[in-house]
Amino acid sequence: MRRELGMLMALILMCAGLYFSNPDFLGQSNVLNVTRLVSMLGIYSVGIGFVIITGGIDLSIGSVVGLTGVIIAKMSGTVLEGNSGGMGMSLWLSIPVALAVACLIGLIQGMLITRLDLQPFIVTLGFMLLLRGVSQTLVHGGSISIGDLKIAGLVESGWFNVGGNPILAYPLLIFFVVLILATYALHFTVFGRYIYAIGGNRDAARYSGINVKKVETLAYVISAGLGGVAGVCYASYIKEMTYNVGIAYELYAIAAAVLGGCSLRGGEGTILGIVIGSAVMKVIDNGINMYQFRYTDARQIQRIWRLDNNWTFIIIGGVILVAVILDQVVHIVQAARRTRRAGAAAAAAAPPPPASAPPAVPV
Amino acid sequence: MIAPTPPPLLSMRGIVKRFPGVVALGGVELRLSPGEVLALMGENGAGKSTLMKILGGAQLPDEGEILVDGVPVVLSSVREAKRLGIALIHQELMLAPNLDIAGNIFLGNERGRPGLFRTISRSAMNRKAQALVKRVGLNLPVTTPVSALTAGQMQMVEIAKALSVNARIIIMDEPTSSLTAGESEQLFAIVRQLRAEGIGIIYISHRMEEVFALADRVTVLRDGKYVGDVPRAEASHDKIVAMMVGRELSGQYFPSRPARTGSREPVLVVNNLLVRGAPAGVSFTAGRGEIVGFAGLVGAGRTELMEAIFGVTPALGGSMTLEGTPYFPRRPADAIARGVYLAPEDRKRHGLVLPMTIAQNTSLPNVGNYSGWGWLDRATERRVAQAEVTRLRTKTPSIMQKCVNLSGGNQQKVVLGKWLAMSPRVLILDEPTRGIDVGAKAEIYRHMAALADEGFTILMVSSDMEEVIGMSDRVIVMHERRIKGEVPRAGLTQQRIATLMTGRTEEQAA
Repeated sequence: MRRELGMLMALILMCAGLYFSNPDFLGQSNVLNVTRLVSMLGIYSVGIGFVIITGGIDLSIGSVVGLTGVIIAKMSGTVLEGNSGGMGMSLWLSIPVALAVACLIGLIQGMLITRLDLQPFIVTLGFMLLLRGVSQTLVHGGSISIGDLKIAGLVESGWFNVGGNPILAYPLLIFFVVLILATYALHFTVFGRYIYAIGGNRDAARYSGINVKKVETLAYVISAGLGGVAGVCYASYIKEMTYNVGIAYELYAIAAAVLGGCSLRGGEGTILGIVIGSAVMKVIDNGINMYQFRYTDARQIQRIWRLDNNWTFIIIGGVILVAVILDQVVHIVQAARRTRRAGAAAAAAAPPPPASAPPAVPV
Repeated sequence: MIAPTPPPLLSMRGIVKRFPGVVALGGVELRLSPGEVLALMGENGAGKSTLMKILGGAQLPDEGEILVDGVPVVLSSVREAKRLGIALIHQELMLAPNLDIAGNIFLGNERGRPGLFRTISRSAMNRKAQALVKRVGLNLPVTTPVSALTAGQMQMVEIAKALSVNARIIIMDEPTSSLTAGESEQLFAIVRQLRAEGIGIIYISHRMEEVFALADRVTVLRDGKYVGDVPRAEASHDKIVAMMVGRELSGQYFPSRPARTGSREPVLVVNNLLVRGAPAGVSFTAGRGEIVGFAGLVGAGRTELMEAIFGVTPALGGSMTLEGTPYFPRRPADAIARGVYLAPEDRKRHGLVLPMTIAQNTSLPNVGNYSGWGWLDRATERRVAQAEVTRLRTKTPSIMQKCVNLSGGNQQKVVLGKWLAMSPRVLILDEPTRGIDVGAKAEIYRHMAALADEGFTILMVSSDMEEVIGMSDRVIVMHERRIKGEVPRAGLTQQRIATLMTGRTEEQAA
């Protein structure tokens, strides 16, 4: 729990700092926007968490997020001249189909990884590229609008409207449902125990009669399935589906999971940690826009200094590195403290060097 | 005495090492002279491994001092220990299988031409390596990949590696645990040769015969404390065991079980089972309440046979019946569903999920059965684990302790507890007491006997001759993946088993 606690404290500090610099950070519209973004990242980060805890990796999530939206747009988008538009089908058909495709992708990846004993990294890398290409051909390299469909309102609407904005937007509600189910599955069921056991020692799990292949395959289905759920949310958020929606999202999800205490070696991590990690990622992202510094210049003019948006990746990358470095430094410092103590003890016990000792000869 | 006694090669005084919740070492003394073989003995958990880690520079003691040639030193890193001439040969050998012998000997200490990337000078390395390899009695070209070597040959490479850095203190941790008798003899010859060359050797072993054959002196640890130091001349089997366990072990080491005559009801019938890699099928029968010992040399195919019976690597042909009904597991889950369980040879790799707790490991194969609707029943899990810990007398502060923190004997008890919680029909024990101390061994034997008396069938693979003879109702001897013979309890002698093990039939020996 050390990592979870540390990240929670970092998150609270960050939020407090941002609020002091710019009270709008906790304004209604920004809070709603950030929770929505955290929810959408959180949904598929939780999914990838299942895979990471088994000791695997899923690089195809970003492409699954994109493909889900593209399938919905292609099937339900307005029919246009030529074949550049959609097919005008019902959302009640396209959304289930898109989610089923996502789950099927997870199933195929899981089967390839467990039955053929292929490495997760390369299988999901292949799917990452392949699915991106499928999205690209479906939209013919262009875009399909879904702004006029009912789904477009999904992100803006929800429960308990206050001043035209829902307190609980649907993405947040979906996120809550995902969290409850995932927490139950990972921390309160036999299935979850098997996920940890496989990540801890795959061989011992097999020797204990666990159907390792089935459990592991299911983890990839959950990962891709939740990627699909997140994809539905993103489609409604973006409204204009192009093939490049979701590029590099898998990397944010992996970062969120690791920030929240998952180990890429497997066997470690919690849903709570992944949620905190997702929140940290998105608050940093938002904070780059929100952070401001008011000052009065030499000519007594009030000025506001803001961060340059081009710094986004530098800051996010830096935060990830600082977090893992700090975590490791704590380990090392503890070890070093023991070394110093033992060194001091030995030094105290050591007699002074004999006067006749020959000078050290450089070798 | 004419000259003042030279300082000992190595001396450790008042070494204390604490881990969260435990004092691993509480004031340990150790002294080693040049050209001496010191046997370090103690039960598992007595602190031998911790002491060795400290000597190897992997861990620092919290208190105490270490002197090499009478000069205090701080072994702050593995590199520093090496620089002082201390070489540690681990029980699990630390060789890179993808490199050749020379590459392993000079790993991290490559001979190269000067320059930015220090181009490796192969010919110089190979020449030097060949000389070292010859010194340890290995007649192989140094360009042989290590993956092609036997366990015994790898041990020799480890020793050559230690010699390559001019080690003056060599620590060997259970060096014979995976060696054949012949290889062990060869190892002993080299140990004696190193002693003659003035190298100090700390020899850790559970095998009493080896200690008496090799050691000049025996240092005994118990529960992290220094118990005593005995010269070989004064050491006896009973005395050392008493020092190790802290009490006189009652004469009967193996539980006495009345030899049964008459036929037993067959439980597991193996008929012409073709194990992957075996030249022919294997057949045997195991009866109710019977302990069947499987003797043989390393590589005789015993583990492979057991893994086929447990479904890890399904057999290619033949048939089996369990209590009269056909039995042919395709995966361990099939075997477990029928009550056939395996406590594997390599506990850490196959037996336990080390980062998980005792409770979680105990429930692993069974947790699905007492959890309705997939809900994890933690209360039952803890109750079952606690019952097994109590029954097997596992030494641990709590069932929530992670298995990685347990000693070998206690880890084995967790593996046993995991299966005993599910009442086995057939229990397969592969090297049940390897690397386990005397006290825990006797306990495990007692549990085995109790299980057999309750009517369960036990298949025991063991390379420990005493154990095979002491525990088995019947011994099946394997050689080169075939069953070479069967010896009933009444006719068990070391001679008979050894003859069959080396591939001769009894007629040939006679």
